[in-house]
Amino acid sequence: MKIVACYKCVPEEEEIKVKSDRTLDFLKAQWKIGLYDLNAVEAGMKLMEEVGGEVAVMTAADDIVENSKMRKAILSRGPAQMYGIKDDAMKTADSYATAQVLKAGIEKIGGIDLVLCGEGSGDIYAQQVGPVLGALLGWPTVNAVSKITPADRKLLVERSIEDGTEVLEVDLPAVVCVTSDINIPRIPTMKEILGAGKKPSTIWNLADVGAKIVNGSDTISILAPEQTDRLRIIFEGGSEENIEALYSHLRKMRRQ
Amino acid sequence: MDFRKSEEQELLIDNLRELFSNEGLTESYFAECDIKHAYPEKMTKVLLENGYTFLGLPEEYGGTPCDNLTQIMIYEEIARLGAPVYAQFNMYIALKDMIEFGTKEQMRLVMDIAKTGTTPLSLAITEPQAGSDTSAIATTATRKNGKVYINGHKTFITGAGDFPYMLCVTRDLDNPKPHKAMSMWLLRNDAPGITMRKLDKIGTNTIGAYEVYLENVEIDETDLVGAEGNGFMQMVKNFEFERLVQCSYSLGWAEAAFEDAVRYAGQRVQFGQSIGSFQLIQKKISDMALKIENMRNILYKTSWELDNNIPVQISSALTKLCCVGPGYEVLDDALQIFGGIGYTNDLRIQRLWRDSRLQKIAGGTEEIMYHISSRAIIKQHQ
Repeated sequence: MKIVACYKCVPEEEEIKVKSDRTLDFLKAQWKIGLYDLNAVEAGMKLMEEVGGEVAVMTAADDIVENSKMRKAILSRGPAQMYGIKDDAMKTADSYATAQVLKAGIEKIGGIDLVLCGEGSGDIYAQQVGPVLGALLGWPTVNAVSKITPADRKLLVERSIEDGTEVLEVDLPAVVCVTSDINIPRIPTMKEILGAGKKPSTIWNLADVGAKIVNGSDTISILAPEQTDRLRIIFEGGSEENIEALYSHLRKMRRQ
Repeated sequence: MDFRKSEEQELLIDNLRELFSNEGLTESYFAECDIKHAYPEKMTKVLLENGYTFLGLPEEYGGTPCDNLTQIMIYEEIARLGAPVYAQFNMYIALKDMIEFGTKEQMRLVMDIAKTGTTPLSLAITEPQAGSDTSAIATTATRKNGKVYINGHKTFITGAGDFPYMLCVTRDLDNPKPHKAMSMWLLRNDAPGITMRKLDKIGTNTIGAYEVYLENVEIDETDLVGAEGNGFMQMVKNFEFERLVQCSYSLGWAEAAFEDAVRYAGQRVQFGQSIGSFQLIQKKISDMALKIENMRNILYKTSWELDNNIPVQISSALTKLCCVGPGYEVLDDALQIFGGIGYTNDLRIQRLWRDSRLQKIAGGTEEIMYHISSRAIIKQHQ
């Protein structure tokens, strides 16, 4: 099975600072691979280990595509090679534009049986890129997948939905977005980390893959939530009265 | 000069942190091992399964070739997490010695044990009358009726009671040149004639140190490891790297203690202000930061020298002097900053303080480091 797992480099959320005007300051934030993308890579690796084939990873972004440490970080998780589509305008690309670029990349590689994505990116978590990518490719597309079992020329997937689990048969080629329940991503071994730098990386620009960045939406602002002051309401002591008062208070707040 | 870590090194360290965090190798686990005097089995297993244990050993033995500097950084990080890192190193040094001097048979025996995660052997060198003065070793190997008999008394042998085999150093007492008269033998630690007594140390509780009595312990000629009479040279071959590894413990533990203490200094209030605003505490903090900086720089540089085949006889001794003493001072200052609670078992500072104190003695005392370095420096200038 020829598998491509898509990933995004995101800033370390703990290191993002909120400025006084509620905009975000990324200056001190280190880059890392999006958490949910690691689940997608791991799902690909597990499938490959079961039925044979190859796992490659792909990303579309600005300069971060070529960041050596990020490349080694993702390649040390097992994939055989990495593809990157690089353009400055990716900085302000929305989900639709991103999916367009990834589609071009997938088609350029050719012969792909399965595209795996995380449920959403580690920063914006719009949960759109995977489904839009599938629609653009015209392939069967499923999200919220918590289990994948390979069968002959198809996959059996389990989707976690509100009331239970849906089991679907999906023909290949397909796009599957996986949840974080699907697996625990392997921690790279020493050998993998030391060998990651030697794996091949292919970097393309937009012209190479024949894509354009066309946003389908307009981002007006990204702001941190308004700071609310602590209410400092204290119910002291575990008396029946206090428990009743706390309960009523919580119910009142919930209704607001 | 690029002083940054390489990307691989950064990734390895990030991974190690993630691994320890995911596998429950946390402060409460380390504290429990220390209190119970229990060998850190879980930590050993995790490090083995993830390839850290055999790092630096040849691929044919299941190792991952790796430079000394990267290995040092890994030991440093394990220490910085507050772990009983010293328990980890025994495996490496045991295998390294055997790879270099053991026969194929001996190597196979040892590797079979190592693969299960158990450190296969301890190094029995020190004796009650022979600590720094290795020329005073008096354990003998006597040949009789086609067998070899070991007689002697060893002490402070790390892991003798826990690891199934023992690499025992004997001396031919008739040879006037003690350093050309030593040999190494591979013994089972439960061989008839061997009795042991576990010593009651004040720290490094997760691994025992033993007194070992050897009375006519019978072994074969094939149990000789390396060349007869070459035991001393074999022994010291890996000493230099071992010295650097000890420095990485001191460095890592100092970094851990420093972080704890600085955070505390910023929080603890006395006389209406944080104690970090008092000059005597501030002096300690800057001195600690300076010592850590020096320790790290000299340790990394000497490791780099070792990787680049530059002789480290002097620099490894100087590195140990720069790390184990000042490292302990950092631990001591950190404990002082904590005041009363630093003196309780509720915090980790006491464990790191106790464990790091040993580094000024074990693996070559500070006094011997002065002797080695200055003697060689003077010789260089003649």
